[in-house]
Amino acid sequence: MLEAKNITKTYGKDESAFTALYKVNLLLPEGTTAAVIGKSGSGKSTLMHIMSGLDHPTEGTVLVDGKSLQSMKQREMDAFRSQKMSFIFQAFFVEANQTCYQNVMLPLEIAKVGRRDRKKHVLEALTAVGLEDKVNVLAGNLSGGQKQRLAIARAIVNKPKLIFADEPTGNLDSTTGDIIIKLLFELNRKLGCTLVIVTHDPELAERCKIQVHMKDGEISQTFGLDEAKTKVKDKKTTKTAPKRKGGKK
Amino acid sequence: MILRDQIARSGRNLRNAKARTLLTAAAIAVGTFALTLTLAASNGATAFVNKIIAENFDPAELIVARDKTIFGNAGDATKPREYDPSFGTGVSNSGATTQIKRVTDEDITLIKRVANVINVREDITVNLRYITREDQKRFVASLAAFSPAQKPTLLAGKIGEGGIIGKNAVLLPEGYVKALGFKSADDAIGKEITASVTKSLASGAADIAALGAGVNSPADLAKLSEQASVERTLKIAAVTKKPTTAQPGTELYLYADAATARELNDITTQGTSNYRKYTYVFAKVKGGENEATLKAAQEELKKKGFAVQSVKEAQEFLTSIIAILQGIVAAFAAIAIIASVFGIVNTMYISVLQRTREIGLMKALGMRKRDIGRLFRFEAAWIGFIGGIVGSLIAVGLGYALNPWITKSLDLGTGNALLIFKPFEIAQLVVALMIVSILAGWLPSRKAAKLDPIEALRTE
Repeated sequence: MLEAKNITKTYGKDESAFTALYKVNLLLPEGTTAAVIGKSGSGKSTLMHIMSGLDHPTEGTVLVDGKSLQSMKQREMDAFRSQKMSFIFQAFFVEANQTCYQNVMLPLEIAKVGRRDRKKHVLEALTAVGLEDKVNVLAGNLSGGQKQRLAIARAIVNKPKLIFADEPTGNLDSTTGDIIIKLLFELNRKLGCTLVIVTHDPELAERCKIQVHMKDGEISQTFGLDEAKTKVKDKKTTKTAPKRKGGKK
Repeated sequence: MILRDQIARSGRNLRNAKARTLLTAAAIAVGTFALTLTLAASNGATAFVNKIIAENFDPAELIVARDKTIFGNAGDATKPREYDPSFGTGVSNSGATTQIKRVTDEDITLIKRVANVINVREDITVNLRYITREDQKRFVASLAAFSPAQKPTLLAGKIGEGGIIGKNAVLLPEGYVKALGFKSADDAIGKEITASVTKSLASGAADIAALGAGVNSPADLAKLSEQASVERTLKIAAVTKKPTTAQPGTELYLYADAATARELNDITTQGTSNYRKYTYVFAKVKGGENEATLKAAQEELKKKGFAVQSVKEAQEFLTSIIAILQGIVAAFAAIAIIASVFGIVNTMYISVLQRTREIGLMKALGMRKRDIGRLFRFEAAWIGFIGGIVGSLIAVGLGYALNPWITKSLDLGTGNALLIFKPFEIAQLVVALMIVSILAGWLPSRKAAKLDPIEALRTE
């Protein structure tokens, strides 16, 4: 269960203050798939960074299985991130100079998984994404779709509970993108992990159980949250968000 | 992240930037190369000096001279010095032929009175006119008094108990065996050779005066010198192997007992300023292996106005020169290494910049700050390691390749090497370089550890 409580994120101070998120509340049940949709600058990436603990909210807390990320020490946070969650990025971020095997190995090394278990885990992950024949191929020699599959293998190798995907199909053509999406949903079913996808692709969003629409730093609309009871607050009517100045980076 | 993975991963990162790594390491390698050779050369020189001294001198003996310039105290020679009969021709420490105060027979008596001095041995070297044997050619030769401390390797024959060779007997260097027509070293034992010694002008004065009148041509002169010399018959007691650690220039010395050497020396010096005067003598101190006993005797001799040096001091004097030279070269090598440190800093900063995104990813995946910093410090350590290994290996390789040639051209004698490499010393050097490299990588690695993951991930 992933819960965002009253998340506000402000950049800068006083006059030049810029509010990227304003009192966002969101509750995602375990094992669900959620799409965070919105235009560029709507705050969806910031929300993802905060929910994954990469960024700190100015106000509010993020609870993962009831435990607040904000109360964690850096050390706990690192351990949490290496064991419980992982990321998939638009630009893949695979290490071109390393083999597929070495790329997927990284999270295991970080999590200090014993050497004996590693090989098994890595091969399992690569098999799951259909790259079992590319084990010793340099990541730089893969196609875009294969790179993203490699990134997915890296994301699932630690069997995380939470996977954040930031525009996973943004750099791919629609056919390849489709394959990646199918793969992500399949893994969600098989592994039972919660999948949070940040995207501005409505088609992709529709395939998720939950859609969260973001606009100007707030949640404007949600679908599929009946059972999750996300409180899209009364604040919506009495909108008091400070004026947003300038565009988000 | 565990250590082994970090080391492996940082090593892999370097492999992905081969040219940059190798160039940075090359700078370190240059310094290491110079340092390794410096260390090796000073090891070799020290070992050589120690070996010469150990095999030629008795640590219980003091070297006693009248003239302080002998031991490098040149101050005495810069002012006019008043004559006294003890002056004779000698060679000062700097190698200049000059008038020096020499040790006289009276001095020897004085030295013998010093507590614990049980024996005084003159340092005698006689330049023989030639040595020969029936039906053989004549060869120039020098003969010196044998010191019981000398440990020559004998090919044949033997030396008596306590270093006694016997009256009119000599140790013959193997170089003369074939020259003098012996079949082998064994063949030479017990055989006699003839040594010709030129009389000093004074001792042969009468003969020369008688002949001098008729000297008109070089032939006459040759005849004259023939008549102004005497021959002695010497028995070969033993044949010595060509020494590897003789004092340079003494490899072909014949050795005889002090009495025999003194007699020959008297013939060549009688009537000259050097008659029965010695540059220095060796005073054997009873229990001189004990430093305090030796020191006491040394002090007493100094009070009597002698210049005294123990064998150990002579050794230290020589090794201190080596240490100074070594220090100078090492300082230059250290400068080279300091210069290469900046290369590492630069390389590491570039590495951090190039891998900003990777750092962001690692942080997002939960890698700890400390581990990221370490990853980069290990990378720096790898560069130091590679540079150190490459530099020292080249130095060792070159050293082994050149050693025979250096030994030959410096005439060090077989079995001696100028460059002596000690694996432990090289290992220490490499470890030191790795530490220096880690320090050089400190700031860049801190920058990496402090990167904001979100910013880092945004970097395209």
